[in-house]
Amino acid sequence: MRRCFSVGVMTLVIGALVVVGGKSVVAADEYAYDLVHSSVSFKARHLDISWIHGRFNEVDGKFSLDRENPSKSTFQLTIKADSVDTANKARDEHLRQPDYFDTKQFPTIEFKSTSTKPVEGGYEVTGDFTMHGKTKKITFVLKGGKEHDFKGTKRVGFSTELSLKRSDFGFDKSAIGPIGDEALILIDCEGVRK
Amino acid sequence: MPEPLLYLKAMGAAALVSALFVLALAGVRRPASAAWLNSACVLGMGLGLAVGCCVLPLRWAWPPANGLDRFLTIAVPAALGIELIAGFQCVPRWAAWFLRMSLATTIPGILLHGSVYLNGSGNDWPLWRVVTALMLSGALLAGVWVLLSWLSRRSPGVSIPLALCLTTQCAGLTVMMAGYIKGGAAAFLLVATLLATTIAVGLIAKRAGSPSIVDAPAILGIGVIGLFSLLFIGLFFGRLSTGGALVLLLAPLLCWATETPLLRHRKPWIVGSLRLVLVAIPLVVVLAVAKRDFDRDMAPLLGKGPASTFRLHRGD
Repeated sequence: MRRCFSVGVMTLVIGALVVVGGKSVVAADEYAYDLVHSSVSFKARHLDISWIHGRFNEVDGKFSLDRENPSKSTFQLTIKADSVDTANKARDEHLRQPDYFDTKQFPTIEFKSTSTKPVEGGYEVTGDFTMHGKTKKITFVLKGGKEHDFKGTKRVGFSTELSLKRSDFGFDKSAIGPIGDEALILIDCEGVRK
Repeated sequence: MPEPLLYLKAMGAAALVSALFVLALAGVRRPASAAWLNSACVLGMGLGLAVGCCVLPLRWAWPPANGLDRFLTIAVPAALGIELIAGFQCVPRWAAWFLRMSLATTIPGILLHGSVYLNGSGNDWPLWRVVTALMLSGALLAGVWVLLSWLSRRSPGVSIPLALCLTTQCAGLTVMMAGYIKGGAAAFLLVATLLATTIAVGLIAKRAGSPSIVDAPAILGIGVIGLFSLLFIGLFFGRLSTGGALVLLLAPLLCWATETPLLRHRKPWIVGSLRLVLVAIPLVVVLAVAKRDFDRDMAPLLGKGPASTFRLHRGD
């Protein structure tokens, strides 16, 4: 009788552990960056009188969202620097040169989160941002996170704006010229659940 | 943005330091032996480049992040070190050339280190293409170095280092017009130190009445490595065309034209002037093509292309 009881308790404990463990795995949803419905764009001052707008056409990324334990959520983004597009071929070619993005030496711009904190309306994400061979820790607020089931596929959307100084990432100050040092980066991304 | 005044300042500082250093060291030991003078040239050029880099400013970064960093922190010190060792009389010629050829074959790989060409992220560059490019580039550098040194020993004179200076200056301008401003600026510093060292050595040789002293292999070595490296990074990281880079690298070899029986026994100043004129011809063509391409590429950025207009009324 005692043996039967202890076997029953053990079964319950193991079952509960399996359920809890399984639940925590299920809780983190993995999403892939949807290039079609997302954009990474930027703007920088020109001669301090106007703004030049541009975007990166080739971006890849993934994020995992843990709704129950948001601090376990992670975000990752890889931008192909070569895909810079400012609607002017000559300028794009100029931006790929060693004085600017140096895309043959530094082909990607990357972000990898190191900590995530839930805030009202989204997440406060801190992580390593690597551009032009230099890595710096940055923090920004990702707004959104609302889910939508579209034709059986779960989608989630986020957006953020962040300001970066190009000189902080090893861009030559004298080469910056008439284009302002500070660049505003706008990220609007949609993730498709894997 | 290019800053001509700053370039002139940096070139002036680099030239002054190099020339004064060489003249001072030559003054310490009279008469200066060829080995002593060669060492003075190496140290003078190293010091001149260092001062010029500080004025420009081109910072030494460690670990070097890009092609230009690797040129300044690895290629130039390696060339200076090898030329310093090669200059000692106790070092056999074959050993000196072994060191030089080792450097020539490794420099292309050093300059491309960590780039899309070597780390595999550039899909358009398969391994065989990378290996071929590295081997051909190394062979070209070695070939130019050997041929110029041979000519310098056969028929010494300031015209060979001057031809190198002329070519490097044009290379700098072309690289700059191809969109790589810092790369071009580095070439100007190299020209200033090479030119100042050559003039200083020329003065010492004149005073000593020994024209063979002018054959300072260090000037040629640093000049050839510098010219090759700047063209190489301009080609692989910038937008310098392969044709333009090849013409610029091979142009100094036109100095060999004066070795034909018809010109060989002319007066030294005629031979020297002819060498410079012959080298200048392809350089002018490359510069003209680079300027045309620059104007064409920059027109849309400078508002010379089609644009819509708007009228602004102030005060109404």
